[in-house]
Amino acid sequence: MKALANASYFWRSAVQGIRRAPLVHLLAVATIALVLVAAGLARSGVLLVDLLGESIGRDVELTIYLREGATESDAAAVARSLAARAGGSAVVVSPEAALARLRGELGEVGDALRDLPVNPLPYSVQLRVSPALRTPQGLRELASEAKAMPLIQDADYAEQAVSRLSAISRAARLAGVLGFVAVSLATVFIVAATLQLAIYARRDEIEIQQLVGATDRFVKAPFLLEGALQGVCGAALALAALWAFSRAIVPPLEQLFAFLLPRDQHLSLLNPSVAAELVLCGALLGLSGSFVAVGRLLKR
Amino acid sequence: MIEMFHVYKSYANAPPCLSEITLRIDKGEFVFVTGPSGAGKTTLLKLIFCAERASSGQVLVGGRNLARIKGSAVPFLRRNIGVVFQDFKLLTHRTVAENVAFTLQVLGTSRLECDERVGKMLKRVGLAHKADCLPPRLSGGEQQRVVIARALVSEPAILLADEPTGNLDPELTVEIMDLLCDVNVRGTTVVVATHDASLLARYRKRIIRLEKGRLVSDRVELSDGARRAVG
Repeated sequence: MKALANASYFWRSAVQGIRRAPLVHLLAVATIALVLVAAGLARSGVLLVDLLGESIGRDVELTIYLREGATESDAAAVARSLAARAGGSAVVVSPEAALARLRGELGEVGDALRDLPVNPLPYSVQLRVSPALRTPQGLRELASEAKAMPLIQDADYAEQAVSRLSAISRAARLAGVLGFVAVSLATVFIVAATLQLAIYARRDEIEIQQLVGATDRFVKAPFLLEGALQGVCGAALALAALWAFSRAIVPPLEQLFAFLLPRDQHLSLLNPSVAAELVLCGALLGLSGSFVAVGRLLKR
Repeated sequence: MIEMFHVYKSYANAPPCLSEITLRIDKGEFVFVTGPSGAGKTTLLKLIFCAERASSGQVLVGGRNLARIKGSAVPFLRRNIGVVFQDFKLLTHRTVAENVAFTLQVLGTSRLECDERVGKMLKRVGLAHKADCLPPRLSGGEQQRVVIARALVSEPAILLADEPTGNLDPELTVEIMDLLCDVNVRGTTVVVATHDASLLARYRKRIIRLEKGRLVSDRVELSDGARRAVG
């Protein structure tokens, strides 16, 4: 009963506080909204980099070369075993097919290969790996496992390209996270500064509350609620802006990156999980700002 | 109810506001603390509701040693003490009823009970018809009565009043003092700080006199009848 009465008081007090100083609160809401819009856009940027990575990753194949003397049935057995291990698919390439492909790739020079008395190429297996293994680490492990098999001479894949792509993706994510943390910290202090004005205007109320026996927690609660409300309002504003941006920018972006997108897949800047993340971030930003502001005031 | 033993209170680079104060106020007593301006009356009250801490000595309120209680326990001590401030400390943008309800909200009282108790208290101080007024629209006496209602609505064991009639005309002074006497009759320990000698003469109660921070006398002012009987 007491908790309910307190909750009702905190809620009324928070709403009254916002009503009493609408401009100050609007400033805080706008600041939070701006940061969340920037965070939402950065997240979309990371999403695009990921998409690029996935698209290139789809083409990553391991080529497994069998030892000289291996037969077609040996190659088929190796292909089955590696496809199962890699969670992907494997295709056996005969020495004749490999030579023909090489001739094709070399163009005019390739004609010289016709004069070879014996086909020097062995049986090979083209292995497509599952998305979970398309990492530098995963591919490296798979290649060394393959090399350790008795019938296999060598295993090869675009190691440098995969490593670079992975590094770019990691750097983009890290930059996004660091940028968000830095901007969030700045926002917490901006929100704290704006809220401090509102709290300062109510210092008489706080003083009287303390004199009639209010605990620090009781004094703080409505201000924290105010901060959280600001955060949620800021997030709602940011979601509206991102939705408008998404409507305007996604169709041309989809055209631009059509070659990267699998068929029937659409670019999406906003989805329920992103929206929930933004609302949570907004509430936390507002809450942290008011926590700093009210903490400063009660310390005096 | 309230005890002080060899209490000193001083601030940096200043002579002590209170020195060597030893006194005892029993439950249900009505006590005037008097003395000229700067004698230490307000500081003495502040020590009782923990707005200040004694530099040395012991202050006990309801058996609790205030030198030993933690900061987090101070709010719970204050819930047993109603304070009438010299400068009222009313919230000007809140109605009379809201100002009085402030104390109950801190205690987590439900809205329904709050309304009921505030209504009764305002009736008791004669302000039921002003419940929805804002304090600046009230006279000085009415504002003082709101402060008393706010201090009493939670039914504290102790009521401290700092110059409660300081800015009031003689008629309103009597009105407020009668209210405080009524509160005392109902069992609340009342401590009134005042420098108004006419009050001391009119309401013959125990008088603690301070001068330059020292307790110079502690006596009960006898009524004329009692004085004659004593001879």
